[in-house]
Amino acid sequence: MKAEHARRVFQLLVLGVLIAVPLYSQNPIEWAPSRIALGELPTPRVSRVWGDTWSFSFYGVSITHPLAALEAVLASRVLYLPLILSALLPLLVTLLMGRVFCSWLCPAGFLLELTQRLRGRLWMRRRLVLIAGDHRYQLLVFSLLLTLLFATPVVSAFDLPHVVGRELFYLLTYGTLSTGGLLLLAGVLTVDTLAARRVWCRSLCPAGGFLSALGAKRLLRIGKKVERCIFCGECNRVCPYGLRPVELGIDKDYNDKDCDNCGLCRDACPSGALYYRIRR
Amino acid sequence: MVRLSRRNFMKSLFLIGFAGIGGGVRRPVIRPPGATRDFLARCIRCGRCGEACPYDSIRFFDIAAGALFATPYIDPLQTPCYLCLKRTGEGKDEPLGEYLLCGEACPTGALTRIRNTRETLLSLPDELKMGVSVLNRDICLAWQYDSCGECYYNCPLRDDAMLDYPPSEVIEGAVGIRPYVNEKHCVGCGMCNYVCPVNEKIASATLEPGRKLTYFEERYAAMVRNVIGRAGPGVELPAVRVVKRV
Repeated sequence: MKAEHARRVFQLLVLGVLIAVPLYSQNPIEWAPSRIALGELPTPRVSRVWGDTWSFSFYGVSITHPLAALEAVLASRVLYLPLILSALLPLLVTLLMGRVFCSWLCPAGFLLELTQRLRGRLWMRRRLVLIAGDHRYQLLVFSLLLTLLFATPVVSAFDLPHVVGRELFYLLTYGTLSTGGLLLLAGVLTVDTLAARRVWCRSLCPAGGFLSALGAKRLLRIGKKVERCIFCGECNRVCPYGLRPVELGIDKDYNDKDCDNCGLCRDACPSGALYYRIRR
Repeated sequence: MVRLSRRNFMKSLFLIGFAGIGGGVRRPVIRPPGATRDFLARCIRCGRCGEACPYDSIRFFDIAAGALFATPYIDPLQTPCYLCLKRTGEGKDEPLGEYLLCGEACPTGALTRIRNTRETLLSLPDELKMGVSVLNRDICLAWQYDSCGECYYNCPLRDDAMLDYPPSEVIEGAVGIRPYVNEKHCVGCGMCNYVCPVNEKIASATLEPGRKLTYFEERYAAMVRNVIGRAGPGVELPAVRVVKRV
């Protein structure tokens, strides 16, 4: 089975939840009653599923992005136990499996993958030049410094998957989009389609950088059966982060810390040399 | 003298700077119930309170609010806080959940969990309340014409937060309701602010012929124009407003 297909299932599931939750909890009735004294109102629908990829809750079970928790702790200097507990599951997953969030769940990553596909189909078959270096860690440190200095979370305001979820929620609940989120999304999508492939994910996303750092010692990795490799370089071409899996197992200094286990190289390999492996 | 720590100074600098760029926030910010003092530090802008809000009373600031971007607020003139009560008529309002849902949904404790019982709401500490209602008797129809009482009848904490008569005053010739806000119990949900007929819409209806009033609004329209005309320009509407507690 192709990893890409499995990923699509997860990505579509996340997108489905992002749309279904606000749709369900949205109130179809206009809450502007007659303003008559003692007015009786229809009972509103109460949902028990809240949130998006930044923080999610399902019938009391809360899951929070580790960076969101870190920001809240840094800004408020309070260790709020439910918040810490809710960040443990994603923390564990990232420590063991790397930043699979980016490739398997992130709705923004999903959108960007779709635009790349569209781009390939429509007009520009030529490969994009990777124009930017990796500035995710600088942005992350800068944001955390701002968070400390001004005592308010910063990445929380412009984390791209969160912006996607938030705008969907605004649209489906209030019928409006926020200018801030819309500008950011439009900007990133434009640059991504016209100028550089996955430039937000590769060089800007501070949350992705944070997860990258957490997953540096992950167990789940892409491995290679060197004897099978025919050195066609197909894996290098498909990697959205500009990594060079063809050097895997040959070059001792091969650096895969930015790998998010998306499995595109594994799917592309014509000889089946690349596979998911658990590092012992 | 108020001592300003460096941290707080930087914080206010940040907020003022952003507010200056974005045009700032016009009305005072009414936060959802249970907002702690360090709300802005704890809020991770996840939007869960807004999704949990059964009446969609909680809205979110846009980028024009600067550092307050994507944080929740309640505008009582659009939708007041219904205190997660199912409104079934005379004296039978039932809670929709064990806790106020926004506080239950908040992952960081920026909004405190508040048990949704009348006793808890009445004994809520002041810093967790949304605000407090202020009544201007000069433009209040009940006080001027003995002919209203919407705020009193609609108050979710009726007879505790809003009384039908001031407890320690004697008013000559009072026949109807004389609404009185009991600041000790008012949580600032904004229901009175929402239902008060002395509002912009009714006041400006005569100036804009296209604007249609409902039957109930039409009933109040003449009196509303009277009290506003008597109070003169610059009077703050409506007659009962939610303001921040200080």
